[in-house]
Formats: sequence, structure tokens, C-alpha cells
Amino acid sequence: MNDFVVTISDEKRTVTVLNEDTVEFDGNKHPVKLSKINNHVYLLKIGNKVYEITTDKLDKDKFGFLINGHYFETTVRTKLSEKAAEYLKNKRLESHQDNISAPMPGLLLKLMKKVGDKVEQGESVAVLEAMKMENDLRSPASGIIKEILVAEGASVEKNQVIINIE
Amino acid sequence: MINKVLIVNRGEIAVRIIKACREMKILSAVIYSDPDIDSLHVRAADEAYRIGPAQASESYLHIPKIIELAKEINADAIHPGYGFLSENAAFIRAVEDAGITFIGPGSDAVLLMGQKTAARTLMKSSGVPIVPGTTEPVRTVDAAIKAAEVIGYPVMIKASAGGGGKGMRKVFNPQELPDAFEKASSEARKAFGNDAVYIERFIVNPKHIEVQIIADKFGNYLHLFERECSVQRRHQKVIEEAPSIAVDDATREKITSAAILAAKACNYVNAGTIEFLMDRDKKFYFLEMNTRLQVEHPVTEMITGIDLVKEQIKIASGEELSFTQEDVTKTGHAVECRVYAEDVDNNFAPSTGKIIHHRMPSGPGIRIDRGIDLQTNISVYYDPMLSKVIAWGKDREEAIVRLKRALSEYQIAGVITNIHSLRWILTNEKFIDGSFDINFIENEFLPLVPEKWKQGNSDELKFWVSVLGALLKHDETKLKANPVNCTSTNKWTSLRYE
Repeated sequence: MNDFVVTISDEKRTVTVLNEDTVEFDGNKHPVKLSKINNHVYLLKIGNKVYEITTDKLDKDKFGFLINGHYFETTVRTKLSEKAAEYLKNKRLESHQDNISAPMPGLLLKLMKKVGDKVEQGESVAVLEAMKMENDLRSPASGIIKEILVAEGASVEKNQVIINIE
Repeated sequence: MINKVLIVNRGEIAVRIIKACREMKILSAVIYSDPDIDSLHVRAADEAYRIGPAQASESYLHIPKIIELAKEINADAIHPGYGFLSENAAFIRAVEDAGITFIGPGSDAVLLMGQKTAARTLMKSSGVPIVPGTTEPVRTVDAAIKAAEVIGYPVMIKASAGGGGKGMRKVFNPQELPDAFEKASSEARKAFGNDAVYIERFIVNPKHIEVQIIADKFGNYLHLFERECSVQRRHQKVIEEAPSIAVDDATREKITSAAILAAKACNYVNAGTIEFLMDRDKKFYFLEMNTRLQVEHPVTEMITGIDLVKEQIKIASGEELSFTQEDVTKTGHAVECRVYAEDVDNNFAPSTGKIIHHRMPSGPGIRIDRGIDLQTNISVYYDPMLSKVIAWGKDREEAIVRLKRALSEYQIAGVITNIHSLRWILTNEKFIDGSFDINFIENEFLPLVPEKWKQGNSDELKFWVSVLGALLKHDETKLKANPVNCTSTNKWTSLRYE
């Protein structure tokens, strides 16, 4: 219940919150103290060291942390929901279904693929124009383009699905 | 006498100009588009006027609306900032025709320097070294192949009307040339409405060195030393500094003299920048002239103590420069980095959103020029630059140490920024020893994107954020809503010395 799996760029760490003043990590107990400065800034004290950490909640399980000029995008889940997420991910890999959505609002400038085309993971499939710049959209998975939901020249909202891949 | 300046720009540069006006007791007026209503420039100015919807063509680029507004509010001068209309000769002429003072050069000089081939011809005849190549537009593939043979491969094909990397192609042999020629012309036509291109020798691994000049209406031309801006990605500068570590006294003498010649050749008035490429043998070549204030002007201000924007306003109002070349001295070293709202690991995608937290660095030698504040919208419509962090030190080493320290103090939430990648650059060996050139980002940083460049991140920091993540999640998942203690404690109270 109090085990949390923290993922930072594919590395996973398990932190156990024993109580509000103690966490366990790698088999060691650490005294902690957390103060909230405002909704986005926390003062975290572990042992004798104190860090000020800027926090941005990105979605349900995702936090962006800015600490000493280093930025970490971090997924935090309870052990239970981490297992559920893993299960879902494997399920998706089995059925090879995935989609490509717009990471930001913009204008869909160009589609490099049509329905039925093969794509490799990491291949550019579309160009999205935002903030005067052209951005490549890359496929998160290998497969076949099943469906294209947006036409060239159309505007897209953030997170709008553009392409379904199977 | 100028009483009221209309600032035809947004973001940090509009705020920068407001500050100069305020110090000179001049009223500042700004324009804003709909998504910019909560922008800092709107809050900071004496007067703010809605100019139109988000699209720049309907707002910040709409010449008739701007001229009409300037007349209506009795603005006696217009400052264009950089980008937008700053180098638009038709706009400058419209300002001049309306009897309003333009804070910048005359339209003739801007028109001339905007045509790259005409500028190259003029520079060559004025004794300013140019990159070997054609001084006339090249119209056909055959002519291009002939020209390239004379110049020697590799060559660059560039748009005559160009800038910002558009309509530019590198060619290594005659086989590649026809295709590159077509692509460059077509890009040039799309970007600038003019498909004329020219060909010049490709300078291998050069540094980008530029010279700040300033000239009044009495024929006084001064330089304010050089800046180095070799750290660039896709021709967008990321880190700039003054002076350059690669320019020795003899080269400085030569390059600043060349810059003065260039400015005199086009009868330039006001502040301007002459950009050069410099090779390993410290031979330099004229690249282009920027007929406006530069983004990176603060590094020059930091080492010379001269406020460039105030000087621009004084020159525009007809004053003579109050100092001579001998009075302009440089002290120490300044480095600037541009903080962008972009997700480096996600192919540098711009990050949009609202600034929900913002705390700026401070302390010795630090200057922040910013266009954002709490609740500012970072929209898709404009440039993603949020602010600039500038550090001054008695030498380059101290400036870099201060800049790194400042970046680690900088807190922004609401959008993803490039702050951590700026830190990476400042700790890179080639940046520190000065051997970097304009391919630095492409050769040293991009191969490590995504993620690999972060491998140097300490496990300790990852541990810290992991603990914070677990505690915050723990707090969320607790059945009883018991929010985290809201007191801001003195972080040292429980530490005891001796």
C-alpha cells in the first residue's frame, strides 16, 4: 500500500513511505521532512540536506520536477497501479495497437504515410507546425497505418489522435 | 524630443524597451494580440492597445493598423524591437511617411542589407571581406554548376532574400547540385516570395562572430566590440557571449574596423550588428548585417556599461553620441543563455501552457530579461523564448560559474523549458575550452538526444525527486484528506553547529 514505484527515463525505483517522517529506499530508512512553500514549490529535507524542488503535475501519475537546474519527468504509481499499468502495456504490445497524437496544438502540415503503409518505431510520419517551427511526429511503435483521422492542412488540438497504427 | 514611444513587439524585448523609456521619462505604449492580454509587456507598459487576433499578420505585422494607432495615440516614435517588422523596409518607410520617428536605421539601409547579393557586392567594393562566391543571383542550374566550379566545393546555396536558415543548402559535389539548387529556390520562393539564390564557398567549422556598431546622424561610427554566438541550433542562437574567447587583440582590431567600414558603406544610423564567419586561421568573412537591436545585445551592455536601447532612442531623437571610440572600454566577460519553452527530449517540441510558478535567479553579476510573469500564456503563435539569463564575471570562468549557479536557482512551472540542456552546454569541455564552432550542438549534443545527455545527472538528485514523488503520491492516495503541512519552515532550524 505504501510502496511507490518511481520511473525516471525507464529507470525504476521503489520508495516505501513508512510514515510522514520516514521513507525506506534500497533497504535504508531515511528521516524526511516535507514543507510546501506553495502549490508548486516544496522544501524536502532528507537527513541534513535540504532541496527546494519545483513541481508541476503533468497528469494523474506524472510529475515534472525541477531541482538545481535539472529537470526530471517522473511517473509515480503505487505498486499496485504500476502492476496494472505494466499489464496494460504488455496487452497493447501484444495487440500492436497504438496511436500517434499531437503533442501540442498546431497545424498538420504534412503526412508522410497513407493508410496501409508500414512504419518503423521512431520513423517520422507527419509534420506539425507550431510556434513558427516545423516539428516531426514520430511513430511510437512499428506496424501498419490503420487509420488517418486528420487531413493535411487541418488544425489539431493537444492530444488529438492523428493516426492509428496496428 | 520624444515623448511617447509605441513599441511594436511583444515578449522580453518589449519589456526591455519599456525599461529604457521609463529611465528616460518617456511614455511607453505597447500593442498586444488577443492571446497576449496577460503578457508582461502589457502589464509593464504605460499604455497598452489591442491590435488584433493571434495571427501575427493580423496583429504584430499589420502595418496600416499600427500606423493608424501611432497617430491616434500621438506616439512620436516607434521602436520595432527584433523580428516582426524590425527589418521590413516598407514598414519603416510607412513610419517615415507618417512623420513618426523610427528608432532604428533608415529604410534605404534596411532595404539594401536585406538583399543579400546586393549587400555582398557593396561589402566587396567597400573592402569588407566576403565569403568567396557570386555577388549576383544565379538563375539556372548550369550557371550554378559553373559558379561552383570556380568557387570550389563544398559550396552553400543561399536565398538572396534570405535569413534564418531557410532556402539554404550545402553541396559537396556537382552531382548533388541540381537537386539542391531546385530545393533552395523553391524554399526561398515559399519563405520570401523570391526564388533568387546565390552561391558561396562553404566555410568548414567556422565560429559565428559579430560586431555591435552604433552610429549617430552626425557621421560618428563606433564599435562596441564583438560577440560570439557559435552555440546555435538550426541557425537559432542558444548561448552568446562577449568578448569572444577566440578573438585576439590583432583580430579584434581587424574585425571591428571591417564592421565600421560595412556600416559606413550603407550610411547606417542607429545600432546594428555585422555578422561574420571566422575560420580556424582567424580569417573572417562578412555574413550579413542585422539592421536592428539583437536578442543578445545585453552581453555587450554588460561588458561596456552602455545601455544600447537608451542610445538608440537618443540617436533617433537627433542627439550626437556623447562618447568616442576611446571612451568605449570592455571589462570582464558576459554570457547569455536563452530559456526556451521546449521539450528537448521530444525533438525540441515547443511546450505550451500557462506559467503557474516563476522565480527568477538573482545575486552577483546576474541579469534577467524576461517576457513572462505568473499567468502568462505561452501560446503556439509566437516564438517560444521565455527569458534570457545573462551573467557577468571578471573573466569568462567566473561568468560561466555564475550562469550555472543562476540556472540552478531558476524555477519555472507550467511549461517544460530547456534550462537543464543549457546547463549541459555550460559544463561541456569544448564549450569551456573555447574550441566549439557553429556545429557544436549538432555534433556534440544532438547525438545524445533523447535522454543520453542526462546520464551525467547524479543519482542523488534522482533519489531526491523519487522521494518527493512518493511522498506527494502518498499524500494523494491517503484515505483521509490531510494536506501536506503548509508552513514554510526555516530549512536550517533543526541543524546545529559545534
